[in-house]
Amino acid sequence: MLLLKLAWRNLFRNVRRTVLTVMLVGFSLVALILTDGIMIGIQESMVGTITETLAGEAQIHRRGFLDDMDDELYITDPDPIIERVAANEAIAAYAPRVLSAGMITSPYNIAGGLIYGVNADREVSISKIKRAIVEGDYLSGSTRQILLGKPMVELLEVSLGDRIVVTVSEVETGEISQELFRLSGIIEFGVPAMDEGLAFINLDVAQRLVGLDEGIHEIAVRFKNPEDAKNRDHAFYREFNNDEIEALSWLDFSPAVSALIEMANYGTLIIGIVLFLLATLGLINSLFMSIYERIYEFGVAKAIGTTPRGIVGLVMLEAFLIAIVSCVMGSVLGYHVNSWYEANGIPLGSFEVEGVVLQGLYTKVVIEQFITLPFYVVLLVLVAAIYPAIFAARIVPATALQRSL
Amino acid sequence: MEPVIETRNVCRYFGEDETRVAALDHVSVQIERGEFTAVIGPSGSGKTTLLHLIGGLDNPSSGEVFLSGTNIAEMSGTELSDFRRDHIGFIFQAYNLIPVLSAEENIEYIMLLQGVPANKRHERVREMLNLVGLEGLGDRRPAHLSGGQQQRVAVARAMASNPDIILADEPTANLDSATGVALLDIMRQLNEELEMTFVFSTHAQKIMDRARRLVYLEDGKVERDESK
Repeated sequence: MLLLKLAWRNLFRNVRRTVLTVMLVGFSLVALILTDGIMIGIQESMVGTITETLAGEAQIHRRGFLDDMDDELYITDPDPIIERVAANEAIAAYAPRVLSAGMITSPYNIAGGLIYGVNADREVSISKIKRAIVEGDYLSGSTRQILLGKPMVELLEVSLGDRIVVTVSEVETGEISQELFRLSGIIEFGVPAMDEGLAFINLDVAQRLVGLDEGIHEIAVRFKNPEDAKNRDHAFYREFNNDEIEALSWLDFSPAVSALIEMANYGTLIIGIVLFLLATLGLINSLFMSIYERIYEFGVAKAIGTTPRGIVGLVMLEAFLIAIVSCVMGSVLGYHVNSWYEANGIPLGSFEVEGVVLQGLYTKVVIEQFITLPFYVVLLVLVAAIYPAIFAARIVPATALQRSL
Repeated sequence: MEPVIETRNVCRYFGEDETRVAALDHVSVQIERGEFTAVIGPSGSGKTTLLHLIGGLDNPSSGEVFLSGTNIAEMSGTELSDFRRDHIGFIFQAYNLIPVLSAEENIEYIMLLQGVPANKRHERVREMLNLVGLEGLGDRRPAHLSGGQQQRVAVARAMASNPDIILADEPTANLDSATGVALLDIMRQLNEELEMTFVFSTHAQKIMDRARRLVYLEDGKVERDESK
């Protein structure tokens, strides 16, 4: 207790220096918390854009389908698979789909696109199609309904209710198949590639158009715990990967984003190392100044019997207390700064990363930022204190006490 | 009786070759238990160096130093620290109390190093404060004590560990005459009542007058060794 008291009071012998040191370490922690918040925010935003907009967190296809979107590779009898997906406890929602490249024609123009046949009810829990409608109505099961992205609508020079003809080739026969639709809704995902190239029609219409009968190309899936989607060893992936079908995580069907996230994690690590390095050098400097100021006192302490280990302990205890105070200050401040940006966002406008458009940048507050990061700060401060502590322990009393005994 | 301190032909040189200076030159001294000895001499005569050596704060260039029969050259750094903690009390010219600790805590600190239980430490602190006449001032930090009071705390700290010997380097040099004499009287009283061994280095005539033995140093050599 007396040693703790001694170490604590020693911090206030030079209040200005201690405050500056605490600010150095504390603000480094704030910067790190904010950086981590930004990185998690970007990641969640990107992952959210990918998984929530349309793709879902995982997808089941006929094996090889995604390699070159060969629409002949479809799941001919999807019901047993869908039943197993529905029964899987890890799965929150699913939606079967038919995909086919096709030609979308209006009386005025023509565009190529990817036609999605979707189950309107199930898609609500998987994708953002319904929420992306900016004009008109969502699909309700009617045969002639079609949703197009705003840029495509502009290209085709059509408006709600206008006629649209979709032309595809039938899967089995390769024959041309056409269907007439009326534009029922205009959508805007905010992702240019999607708004320019996708069309959505009802699932049964798509199955008939492409000639699949009951077949589908894809089952998009959402997990109860989004983290499970990233775990390729999860039971879900084991269950739905066999010679016939494959279940893929968004990490697999969006490898660029997954690589970008990995890069962002390395970025956080590098920023963390640089910040900590600067803070560590400042801390070492501060501890050395403190030791040099008290060199005579350490000489006295050693003369009266404090062992080198005792001196190391005292300096480490002082460093530990600085770390604790810094972490409390840094965590409180970091929480408020991060929370503010989580609520209000960093005003950067909208920007595109790997084809994903992020509307503003919102940080993310997670509990680990106030446990793991401060833990590393304390650890690093203690490591930084080892050298000054050993220096203090090696002070020779007779040299330190040259002026007197 | 075995001496508390014995130096045998101790030499201590500083510098090398042409710049080499002999701070102590073949000094042999024995200090018995209960002595009240003053090491005197002009500045640069080697008083402080001798106290450094017999306090185990420095090692001789040649010769041997025995503290309570133990040759300090054979001790490791930690053993020497432990030895100083348990057997030697130091009183410094500039008091050298820990400024952030109160008088009580300064006295308690050395017992903490010894691993004395808290209740015994507190009891001993009270006892020491009474001995040096500082009852009621234990909670004051050094900055709120006069020079004489601080040196009395230093005496109490030196005695708290119940050492075999107390070494004091010019303990009254920073005190006014009356305060210095009062402090000396306290130390003399402790020496007589508790048979505690004191060795001083000093220029002060008043200390010399009160010492029972005077060791005169000049140019690092013992010129005279007189007992009163």
